[in-house]
Amino acid sequence: MFQMMLSGLTIGAIYGLLGMALSISFYVTRVINFAQGQMLMIAIIVAACLSEAGFNPWLGVALGPLAACVLGVASYFIGVRPILKADRFSFGWMVSTLGFGLVVENAIAYAVGPRSRGFPPLLNDIPIRLGDAVITGQQILALLVAAFAVAALEFVRKRTLFGKVGMATAADPEMAESIGANTMIVSAVTFALSGLIAGIAGVLIAPRTFANPYLGGTFNTFGFVAMMIGGGPENPANAMYGGLLLGVLAEGANSYINSQASDWFPFLILVLVLIVTPRGLFSTSNPLFRPRPARPA
Amino acid sequence: MSSANNILEVSSLAGGYGRFDVVRNITLRLREGEAVGLLGPNGAGKTTILRGIMGLLKQRVGTIRIGDTDVTMFPTHRIARGYAAIAPEGRRLFADQTVEDNLILGAWHRRREPQRVQALLDSVYALFPVLREYRHRQSSFLSGGEQQMVAIGRMLMADPLILLLDEPSIGLSPVAVDIVVKALIELRRRGASLLLVEQRVDVAARVCDRLYVISGGEIVEETTPEVVGREGAELINKYLG
Repeated sequence: MFQMMLSGLTIGAIYGLLGMALSISFYVTRVINFAQGQMLMIAIIVAACLSEAGFNPWLGVALGPLAACVLGVASYFIGVRPILKADRFSFGWMVSTLGFGLVVENAIAYAVGPRSRGFPPLLNDIPIRLGDAVITGQQILALLVAAFAVAALEFVRKRTLFGKVGMATAADPEMAESIGANTMIVSAVTFALSGLIAGIAGVLIAPRTFANPYLGGTFNTFGFVAMMIGGGPENPANAMYGGLLLGVLAEGANSYINSQASDWFPFLILVLVLIVTPRGLFSTSNPLFRPRPARPA
Repeated sequence: MSSANNILEVSSLAGGYGRFDVVRNITLRLREGEAVGLLGPNGAGKTTILRGIMGLLKQRVGTIRIGDTDVTMFPTHRIARGYAAIAPEGRRLFADQTVEDNLILGAWHRRREPQRVQALLDSVYALFPVLREYRHRQSSFLSGGEQQMVAIGRMLMADPLILLLDEPSIGLSPVAVDIVVKALIELRRRGASLLLVEQRVDVAARVCDRLYVISGGEIVEETTPEVVGREGAELINKYLG
């Protein structure tokens, strides 16, 4: 049980990071970037290719997320900005970001080949015993990065002027422009940040998987579920909580039902969660988290 | 400065939202330290003129000069950096943020000048002392009058050459309207240049030196509060319904 919880939390941290990446760009621009999974993928491919070429694996760990960051900015200027500039209320970005992701995926497959590559273990071959359970150094790193990402994001959102102008852009982009904020720059920075976080998620999970150009789609789906279960559209940090829950549910289904169940069980929970709290489990629409009126003295 | 100390010159402005122009052939001027009102019935195009000056209209022709600069081709965020600031209709505060955050965001382009921002903040609090008391309160929890004070304060934080106010009295109680009008008169005393959109003739007359009457998207008359005082009923019947 403890082992299952640990494994679930660590994979959930990855889903949570991807959910946060999706939520950050959605929070500011109201756009869901369906190419987010491909940013995770490109970070893994860049790191794997550098390692394969004989470079220090940690160089790939540093450069992979940066490549994802650049791809995030490119997805904004190619897949999002032209659509929103023509019509702020258009949903054309649904197709354009999906298309952007597919083009990137196939371009990478064409450039480096569609085969799966091995990924250096990094900290994955350092086992640490916790009672009867075993956790690897890589898993601990994933949990620490997830905790840091939530704290840093909350700090930026609530305590910095950039976070506040991001909130202003999210609430009323036209008014944000009218106070002098260049909303194009604000949006591009949030897409860069989203790409960076997805890339970090990629190099954290890569030692447990293969480097394959087509793995972005699956992670994108789980990141999206994490965002929706948690209530990421309201507050990106909620996506992390959703991701952790999703990871535990998937591992639990794997342990207690069968290995196939980890694919469908979380989605069943997603539907139930959205019926009870349509904005996500950790959103203010949840009766448990809704502020209660003060009791009369 | 452009001709005769005009701080704002709008020439032959036309524009709208779709294929059709809401306003046509708008030519107006605002002198430094002057307050000018735009009067007119609903749908006359008053707000569209302000949006045109702020660069918020997609379709727009004509020229707009603020101070010495032709800002016609400037994007909104550039116009907002010291040329013009707006207190829009309906206030449009950043509802999830506190009063002070709303005010500080108004000085976004001065974010690297903390002392200047603090001085501007102090001057807003001097104009509306109640905002200092409520500075940590979420702006959506304020009354309509208090929200209007925040909207005007946010506009002042930009410290621009011209101030654009869109129906600051709309939806407010008589007491709140009086506070807002007194604040606008105080801004005039401090030398601010105002372009004020109003439906209420009495409010515009108390604040402004000159008035443009807008009807059907065009300026149909230029007048003064004194004339409006004399011929108020006739003017109202003729243009404002």
